[in-house]
Amino acid sequence: MGKFHLTYLLVVCLIWSVQSAVDVEIQNKNVDRTIDLTSQLVKISYKITLEHSAKKNLNSYSFLIPKNERKSLAYISIRDSSKKELKSTEETNADGALFLVNLPANAPTQILLVETVFTKSLLPYPTEIQQSEKQLVRYFGNAYFYSQFKTLSQKTTIQLSSKNVESYTSVKPSSQSDSTITYGPYENIAALSTQPITVHFENHSPFLTVTRLERVIEVSHWGNIAVEETIDMVHSGAKLKGSFSRYDYQKDGRSGQASVKSYKTILPASATGVYYRDTNGNISTSAMRVHKDSVELDLRPRFPLFGGWKTHYTIGYNVPSFEYLFHTNENYLLKMRLVDHIYDDMVIDEIVVKIILPEGSTNIKLITPYPVTRLSDSLHYTYLDTFGRPVIQFTKNNLVENHIHEFNLKYNFPKIVMIQEPLLIVGFLYILFLCVIIWMRLDFSITKEKEAHPHKE
Amino acid sequence: MEPSMTRYISPISPSVFPHLATVLLAMGTFFTAWFFVFEVTRPTSNGKNLIVKELLISLFAASFLGFGVLFLMLTVGIYV
Repeated sequence: MGKFHLTYLLVVCLIWSVQSAVDVEIQNKNVDRTIDLTSQLVKISYKITLEHSAKKNLNSYSFLIPKNERKSLAYISIRDSSKKELKSTEETNADGALFLVNLPANAPTQILLVETVFTKSLLPYPTEIQQSEKQLVRYFGNAYFYSQFKTLSQKTTIQLSSKNVESYTSVKPSSQSDSTITYGPYENIAALSTQPITVHFENHSPFLTVTRLERVIEVSHWGNIAVEETIDMVHSGAKLKGSFSRYDYQKDGRSGQASVKSYKTILPASATGVYYRDTNGNISTSAMRVHKDSVELDLRPRFPLFGGWKTHYTIGYNVPSFEYLFHTNENYLLKMRLVDHIYDDMVIDEIVVKIILPEGSTNIKLITPYPVTRLSDSLHYTYLDTFGRPVIQFTKNNLVENHIHEFNLKYNFPKIVMIQEPLLIVGFLYILFLCVIIWMRLDFSITKEKEAHPHKE
Repeated sequence: MEPSMTRYISPISPSVFPHLATVLLAMGTFFTAWFFVFEVTRPTSNGKNLIVKELLISLFAASFLGFGVLFLMLTVGIYV
């Protein structure tokens, strides 16, 4: 009997501890949700007004992402009403992924601004289309704001890329006008409620995915930083069914609407010596425009990209070192973008960044704006190297435009090492000259000269 | 970033790389030519003082050519 009581007590304790993890008195007073489906990404921005039902001060909040959507979540940022970024820590429980933030102001009512970006969440349906057909995609979502807390009032606006909507789930009250679908307002929705919705609509924005991006940054202390990006790209929209007709493509303007003819890459303003090539050599169908604050590249692949088609190319350029490299005495700091713009609303599955530092760099310390997976350091051998240049490598998956941030790389480099490279050439040439001097002193004649015959001069 | 840090500029401005390369290579070629002319006209006997002269001329030739080649590489875009 005593044993039974103990078990009972344990169970009660367990339930109590689980319950206490969620403060049930926090309420979402009002939630404004905007789901932007105009590109290949799903960008959701929330404006959440929090309230404590007992008018106590709020100091923490947890934002919930459903489990099945966590994998496609590329970016999340939580800000307070003054647009200041709040640091979040992630936890997983049975309901999904929790992003916990500490609220800066201790007030019973607060406003949070949350921005999330999901990749691969717009699924083409039908999955295969012919050249002249339109590309339709489906979005699967939730009519209600998925939260651990009760939501008093909420409204969702879905922005679409076109007004051609095949169908959308109706959850009263919901309406469509032009390219906007509105869900709500809904009142008093319980915590963790879901009401699945599907929106099936036309989307011709470029569905391009960079499957692998290798970004190599080579630092030279002679005043140059060379950047080279090797890109594997695939059209991730509806696959092309049947054959491709170049005639139809050129003649009929409506043909190949879902294909990608060209796109713009934006490089830093100081970029010079830009090249765009693949395994065949230079791709001449590109245009470069130099603007005041950027260099714009209009890239046109060798063939239009249809669903499922791939391309592979290399882009490279030089930037002067004073733009990104800083120093005091022998301490150096490289401050560059971890990933740069490739095309608008880009999706990068995997990025590998390699930073090649000059030979003789030591005490290398990497600081990244967000967590990355550091790969093992290696050595790189190129012109005039003896013991190799240190290479820092790291990788990250699932990146979007919001990840364009700078990393910091600190290292030490003794200036005297720079003289090593010219001295190598000088030494090599001097050895050649010495060989000539020795050669001239050797006697290779078979017969001995009889007498030193005097010069005729 | 520490506030004391300043932007890093190359010890030699990249805009003078081509000129440096031309001048240094020209001087290097001159010394090389002198060295070879000297070698072929050198009398075979009594080479005591001559070896010092040979070594000096070749050292100058190697230094000018060496730095010239480095700046040539930097000019054409091989940033070593």
